Order: sequence, then structure tokens, then C-alpha cells
Amino acid sequence: MFNYTFHWHQALRALPQMLDGALVTLQIALLSMAIGLACAITLTLMRLSGNRLLGGLAQSWVEIARNTPALFQIYMAHFGLGSFGIHLSPYTALLAGIAFNNAGYLAENFRGALKAIPDTQTRAGRSLGMSSLQAFRLIVLPQMLRVAFLPMTNQMVWAILMTSLGVTVGMNTDLAGVTQELNARSFRTFEFFAIAAVIYYLIAKAVTLAARLIAWRMFRY
Amino acid sequence: MKTSILALAAMATALTGPAFADKLDDIISSGTLRCAVVLDFPPMGSRDANNTPVGFDVDYCNDLAAALGVTAEIVETPFPERIPALMSGRVDVGVASTSDTLERAKTVGMSIPYFAFEMAVTSNDKAGIKSFDDMKGKTVGATAGTFEAIALEKQVKEWGAGEFRPYQTQADVFLALSQGQIDATVSTSTVAQANVKTGNFPGITVVGKAPFDTDYVALFTNREEYGLLNYLNLFVNQQVRTGRYAELYEKWVGGDLPDLTAAGVYR
Repeated sequence: MFNYTFHWHQALRALPQMLDGALVTLQIALLSMAIGLACAITLTLMRLSGNRLLGGLAQSWVEIARNTPALFQIYMAHFGLGSFGIHLSPYTALLAGIAFNNAGYLAENFRGALKAIPDTQTRAGRSLGMSSLQAFRLIVLPQMLRVAFLPMTNQMVWAILMTSLGVTVGMNTDLAGVTQELNARSFRTFEFFAIAAVIYYLIAKAVTLAARLIAWRMFRY
Repeated sequence: MKTSILALAAMATALTGPAFADKLDDIISSGTLRCAVVLDFPPMGSRDANNTPVGFDVDYCNDLAAALGVTAEIVETPFPERIPALMSGRVDVGVASTSDTLERAKTVGMSIPYFAFEMAVTSNDKAGIKSFDDMKGKTVGATAGTFEAIALEKQVKEWGAGEFRPYQTQADVFLALSQGQIDATVSTSTVAQANVKTGNFPGITVVGKAPFDTDYVALFTNREEYGLLNYLNLFVNQQVRTGRYAELYEKWVGGDLPDLTAAGVYR
């Protein structure tokens, strides 16, 4: 049935190009994580604020980010905003889409992590004369990030894999984009996709290991 | 007694024989011809109001099935999925406006050309592009994996200015063009005219020809299926000889019939 002869030599010649693509992939994932993290902390604060409008806004962000496909979010960032005359380049649209998704999931992680930190800690901080923001920043936030650290690495891996959706909005410099193009040119689908899969796997694995190392360094008692 | 049994056994082996059924046999005996057709590529392939596949490629597949005496099954494949569909055995033949590049012929077997495209530039009215050369330095796009996308990307690199964006479907290219995400696209002139005519994409105009080589497209199947490839070549030849090619061209495209031969060389 499966009638195909592999041409690895031809495919491996494109490896440098694919590795360049992998760097772009990693860059987008890291940036989207940084932006997502900032947004997620803001969303968490908004939800804690007790203000109904702010809380509602944050809640809808989280709901949309978590309950719609990432593909849809990225497509909307490019073509959806495009129909209102706001033009994001494929790179920006992909970054925005993934950051939006990251923020939603991370905010939920943080909500869970916050539950693990007793209220009494905030109260203790306040009774020492800290403002509520200070208490959050100096006492709650560090502990929250620590509890949420491993779920965050999960999200990071997920962000790396989500970058492959960029091809739908015309992205051609990341790993998936480069792979698609090489495939279109030569029709050696299985070779290029296999190499891409291995590279994705290695990046994801490296990120997980790095995160474990960081966790081991930072969270030692 | 013993000899007659041996003789019988020998006869039985000779009759049933080792079966060397190739793909052509498989198609005929299965009674179905499965064609990979791209259905967001009007007028070559699209869907009508009832969601039925229609277009030049669809008719071509039906003709081929009729010639083989089997029923045609149209399998919709976006451009990047034509080859995986063939390799994984989901389709028998590609009738999918596939450019017959030498690079691709290392992977699949191409018939003689069954259609030829000229390339046209379509631009967003606000971009101020009036010809192919005006595209220099602009953001341009095309359907990923097509002949024109490969040629246009090369051109953008040669110009050293501007940006190239490949989209996954032809519809996305025209959507992006209509929204002004890209300033211009190069597509086959038939597709450009068909899409402008639908009115789904306001604010775009076909502004001229692109000076790329004529894009000859071929039917394709597995590289080693010589029996089927021979049949496909003869079929394409007959379509032209019997005037069916001209008839289908008039039905779906109209205008000057593209010549399918290259002067001064045999295939």
C-alpha cells in the first residue's frame, strides 16, 4: 500500500534552512510566553480586583482563549482584524494569537495556584503595613509563580507546537512554514515532515529539561 | 495417476498464474477512479450552490473515468495535500492543475500536459500597482506550493525588496488581497478572472500579465505506474484530438485555447 522511497539525502540538504526556521519558532514561542505571562498576571489582578467590569473583561478573555481553537484565534488575528482594516503581519498575528491563548490558560493556572496560598499570608503582609498591591507583589506573586511554574512549562511547550499554525496566515519563516515550502517545491512530504517532527520534539524536550533545571535551582529549600 | 495430478496442478498454476495487477488493473477491477481535485481553484475546481464539485478538472476526471468504464470519485485535496493523498493511497490519479516541474517528477509520475496557464497580476486598487514591475518592494502573496508562488518568491528575493507571503488556499490569498493585507498577487489568469468576477472580493483588479514561463500542468500518479501513465498520456492526446479539450475550455474558461505543445522538442 505505502509505496514510497525515501530520499533522505535530498531532504537533509535543507536542514540548515529548517534549523533557521526552528530558531524563529523558538523566538515566537518565547516572546508569546513573555507577553502571555504579563497579560495573565494582569488578568489575575483584574479578577481579584472585585471590580465587576474588570473582572468580567478578564473572565471573558479567559473563556474565549480557553474554549476556542488556537487556529481560530490566530486566523482571527490576521483575517478577522484585517476585515476591520487592522493589518497585522503574519508574524505579529501569530504572536498575538498565541500570546492571547497563553494568557488565557496561564490566568487559569494562576487562579489554581492562588488557591494554594492561604489568605492569612496576605493579611499578615497587610498587618505589617504593606499596601494590598505590595502584599500581592512581594508575598503572593512569588509563591504563585512557584506553584504555577510547572504548568507554565506545559504552556511553553504548547506555545512551541502552536507556532505551526502560522502557515494558515501566510507565515513562511518558522519551522512549519519552511517545511511546507520545501514540501511544495519537491513533494518529499514524508522526509521533510519527519525531520520537522524530530526538530519540534527536540525543542520541546530541551525546554522541558531546561525548566526542570531552573526549577531545581530556584525552588530548593 | 500421479502424473495426471501433477499435470493438473501445473495447469492450475499456469491458469491462475502469478498476478501482476498494476494500478490500471486495480482501478478497472475496483470500478472506481479516485481523483485528487483542488476545489478552491475556480474555474478548474470549485463547488456549486448545491455543494457539488464542478469545474474543468472535475469534468476531466469524469471523462477519464468514462474512458476507463468506471465511476469517478472526486476527492477534495488542498494544494499541499495532493501528494500525501496519492502516497497514502487515498487517490489514484491527480487531476489537480499540477505544474510538471522536474523537482516534483522525482517524486511522482507526470503525464504530458493537459492544460496550460498564463499568469496574471491582480492588485488591490489602493496599492497603485499597474504592472508586474510595480510589485517591486510591495507585500505580495500567492497560494503556497503552486508554480506561481515558487516563481513569485524567487522574484521577490531577486528584487531584494518587499515581502512574500504564502497562503494555504487560493481563497485566503484573495481575501488577504481584498483586505489590503497584501498589495498584489500572481495567479493563473483564469483563476484571477473567476475570482474577480464572483464579487466576493471587492476592491481588486486584474492589472496585467506576469512574465513567468507558461505553466504547463499535468495529470499525475505514482512514478512507477507505467501502465497507467501510458494510458493517461494517450487520454490527454485523445481529449485534444477529439475536440473535447477545446469544448471544456470554452465551457469553463473561454477565449484563446492554450497550445499544449512546446515548439521544437519531443516529449
